[in-house]
Amino acid sequence: MPEITVKYEDKVIERIVTEKKRISIGRGNENDIVLENRGVSRKHAMIEFNDKAAVLIDNESLNGTFVNSRKVSEEVLRDQDVITIGKYSLVYNTETTNEGGEAANFDGTMVLNTKQQKKLLETDRMERQIVEKYGGSVLLGMENADFAEHRLDREVSTIGKAKFVHIRAKGFWLSGIQAKIVQEDQIFSLVNLGKSGKVKVNGDVTSQCVLKNGDLITVGKTTFKFVEGKN
Amino acid sequence: MKYGLISDIHANLEALIAVLSDLEKQRVDSIHCLGDVVGYGADPEACLKLIQQTCDTKLIGNHEYAALGLQSVEQFNEAAKAAAEWTQQTLTEDAVAIMADFNLDRALDDMYLVHASPFEPDRWHYVFAAEDAIRGFGQMKQDLGFFGHSHIPMILRERPDSLPHVRTGHTFVADPEGRYLINVGSVGQPRDNDPRACYVVYESDERDVEFHRVEYDIATAQRKMSKASLPETLISRLSAGI
Repeated sequence: MPEITVKYEDKVIERIVTEKKRISIGRGNENDIVLENRGVSRKHAMIEFNDKAAVLIDNESLNGTFVNSRKVSEEVLRDQDVITIGKYSLVYNTETTNEGGEAANFDGTMVLNTKQQKKLLETDRMERQIVEKYGGSVLLGMENADFAEHRLDREVSTIGKAKFVHIRAKGFWLSGIQAKIVQEDQIFSLVNLGKSGKVKVNGDVTSQCVLKNGDLITVGKTTFKFVEGKN
Repeated sequence: MKYGLISDIHANLEALIAVLSDLEKQRVDSIHCLGDVVGYGADPEACLKLIQQTCDTKLIGNHEYAALGLQSVEQFNEAAKAAAEWTQQTLTEDAVAIMADFNLDRALDDMYLVHASPFEPDRWHYVFAAEDAIRGFGQMKQDLGFFGHSHIPMILRERPDSLPHVRTGHTFVADPEGRYLINVGSVGQPRDNDPRACYVVYESDERDVEFHRVEYDIATAQRKMSKASLPETLISRLSAGI
């Protein structure tokens, strides 16, 4: 069964496992997931479940709904997608995690953080401009990269310290070709090829994973941000 | 300095061991591998490990590219494609990491080392004829380029105002004024009608280029390929050197 973990500033406050076909999210008490924050609209968004997918729909909310840092109006959710509404993040899992983590002590009063909201919107706007400029998914150089923007237009892009790779990364112990990004049917996957432990996504070592918008890829000492070009 | 130059081992462990022991007798200072350690044969992992232990230069070839999933095998012929897919499934993470550390080319002494043509090295252009060599010479700063890829030992000499001169691979002394592209032949799948493993020794003081042929246990290599269910055409060609 699908599970939604509600977090407030990285603290888990609720885990919701549902059999309902539709759940509503908003500030109003009538919602299935109530987010008590003035930055959240009364009926902010909903998630509809069918046999094949879960679809997040924004109810034309004032401050917007984000999936993996991308502003959306309607979005098919994938496992581990992060929905951001105001200061809340909702992590969508296709299956129940059974972690049973305790909800943090949360008193429900908070201040609308317009600064964070503005930053989210500004980042989303900038990244949309970049993917529009290149017409597809892009890597942004974040730390120790020798480029600001790199269009992922090949079926396979190589990352490593060798001179002949497509994307150069720094780090003394890195392999010449440390990793590759493979594009198949608009899905981008990151695969480690070289020495183990040198490739991380959002801080976790990976040997292979499907990339999501906003993922931070670290290869040795170099960090890139994956900005997805679809939508 | 005396350099051993080997290429296109193609997972033929028997041929590789025979060549390495022959190189020991030659008392070379260092051994340089020009790529395609894997593909076709039954021992990709063992060959990769042996190359890593023994070679000073380890270059990447198109079969390593295919095994790393960096290029599609669609352009390979059916037998090569089947062998490439078998290789990809067989290799361990350790073996993949060995290939991931190979270089594309290397400048060393008065030599340029590369798997295929010096022109666009990662596009694996063949150098079969004088016309193919022109662009290769154009990209090369050094006087001597050593390469592999076609499995045909060959010497191409650059000439002003005319096409490069092409000869089959045989021992010769390179003219100090001349520029050459030299195909060192193949260790593990020779295709010049001589089934013996092929390699080159280059002595840089005299500019002496020696082609060597070594007999190896073809039958064992073939038996292992049969056991691995690799395509029959790849097995039989080893006996004929085609």
